[in-house]
Amino acid sequence: MKRLIQYCTIFLLMLLLCYCGTARRGEPVFAPVPLADQEIARGEVVYMNYCHKCHPGGEAGLGPAINDKPLPGFMIKLQVRNGLGVMPAFKEEVIPDEELDDMVAYLKALRKAKEEE
Amino acid sequence: MKTSLRLLPLFLAFCLCGCYRILPSKGGAQGSIRTEARPINPDDIALPAGYSAEAVATGLTFPTAVAFDEQGRLHVIEAGYSYGEVFLEPRLLRVEPGGSLTTVATGQKNGPWSGITFHNGNFYVAEGGVLEGGKVLRISPEGNITSLVENLPTMGDHHTNGPAVGPDGNLYFGLGTATNSGVVGQDNYNYGWLERHPNFHDIPCKDVILAGRNYTSEVPLPSKSGKQTTGAYVPYGTPTTEGQVIEGSLPCSGSVIRISPESGQMELVAWGFRNPFGLAFSPNGTLYVSDNGYDVRGSRPVWGNGDYLWQVQPGQWYGWPDYSGGLAFNGDRFDPPGEDAPQPLLAQHPNEPPQPAATLGVHSSSNGLDFSRSSAFGHQGQAFIAQFGDLAPDVGKVLAPVGYKVVRVDVANGTVKDFAANKGKKVAPASKQKSGGLERPISVKFSPDGQSLYIVDFGVLNVEGKEQVPQQNTGVIWKITKNSN
Repeated sequence: MKRLIQYCTIFLLMLLLCYCGTARRGEPVFAPVPLADQEIARGEVVYMNYCHKCHPGGEAGLGPAINDKPLPGFMIKLQVRNGLGVMPAFKEEVIPDEELDDMVAYLKALRKAKEEE
Repeated sequence: MKTSLRLLPLFLAFCLCGCYRILPSKGGAQGSIRTEARPINPDDIALPAGYSAEAVATGLTFPTAVAFDEQGRLHVIEAGYSYGEVFLEPRLLRVEPGGSLTTVATGQKNGPWSGITFHNGNFYVAEGGVLEGGKVLRISPEGNITSLVENLPTMGDHHTNGPAVGPDGNLYFGLGTATNSGVVGQDNYNYGWLERHPNFHDIPCKDVILAGRNYTSEVPLPSKSGKQTTGAYVPYGTPTTEGQVIEGSLPCSGSVIRISPESGQMELVAWGFRNPFGLAFSPNGTLYVSDNGYDVRGSRPVWGNGDYLWQVQPGQWYGWPDYSGGLAFNGDRFDPPGEDAPQPLLAQHPNEPPQPAATLGVHSSSNGLDFSRSSAFGHQGQAFIAQFGDLAPDVGKVLAPVGYKVVRVDVANGTVKDFAANKGKKVAPASKQKSGGLERPISVKFSPDGQSLYIVDFGVLNVEGKEQVPQQNTGVIWKITKNSN
């Protein structure tokens, strides 16, 4: 039980910390997202089709920022498949598993694109 | 105790699910906005490595677009109208070296002049038409104004846009819809036009059969007081029935139309857009149009719609008022939190709409666009789009400012990247950041040699409650160049 409370506390603290930094990534503020990796390049296209309008560039817009949320890949997939709150679910017939894998690869690369050029 | 603690993760998940509704809107024109004189500082604009910005004209009132004459001289139009019901005389101005302005032509109070192009020795301007209906004007270099077409049905929410010259030598222009999503109501009264034009409504380009859905609203119109029932494509206070046919006609709402600059004879190119604001031909001669998506307002609010970049296929219907970005209103996705989802207004659809070339931020107000044609500037073949920025909360809630920047789109795969945006923790207009950078980019234009990108910055437009408050003399033209190595 103690561990459960610890996990929840850590989760809440991480959420709070998210609001301290910037969610901006890639150009023009930082170096571009590396797109030489084909998986990341394919994932960018998937992201643009389904996610970009509410989270433009991974930043907040209609929805919250996602660049600054330290979610592991399986949690991202869980949220995409099931939705959360007002975010709709994207089932396999909309985003196939392979495309979702690519999209998660892109999101992880985007999240890291915060190095000065 | 233990049982209640076990429920803690569920409680956290519940809070996360429900918190969207209680979060306040944080649009770029909301909250603490600077109202004193606008400072100008290009260093406050973030650009990719190797590019730099400068301001080439300042103090403009509602500038919307630029064009270059045959001598390569920069010209700008001031709209003469802004949301917030500000009526002025629109103007065509030449920007002299050093930034001083010379008036070339002055129009009538029937703005907004929303776009301009130069072709075969004359300027062509789209006159929005909030008072008398839209027009396409020819303006000689001496400032003589001639109407090529008049009485375009754009006295509503959206106006006459463009024009762009096609490879066929014709002028292409866009007509925005009268309403948000097909039904005249309270929001149109708030915009101001329903009182001026109480019988105005959307017009389909071809015959449509209605599903017969009606909506109830109430506005203090002297001619139609009390609760009124209103259907689609009809005046305020007019109900419709299932199976009712609305005859199509030209000119029509939400359309792209072309005319010969000589004859002015209109021909429908495509329809089913909402507000086709930016029109530009790619280097291979394909027409692209930027389209402002639905808002969460009025009798039929629609939630979660992006703005779209369309590759225009002649003859196609692009989905308004029953699709968004190629997706049908079928009960999913587009319902505002806590409200019913919008239901289709049409019993039959003209065709399955195409898929967008790119999907842009919800409420970003993605407006004027142009294509890079020069390796000296880079990104050849990509579309650069000016994003005016959100008008939250009037158009719907956002959790952070959306737009207020210039993005570039690889039209081959629909990927979108920021190109010019203010520095800072978040992208936001300069008046909110208290900086000297971008405010509301409304259009972009490459110089004739393709080596510079001009950004037309409309200036400050605040949103106070449901009221839009534009500030005169705050418009700027920025010039972006790639530094030589």
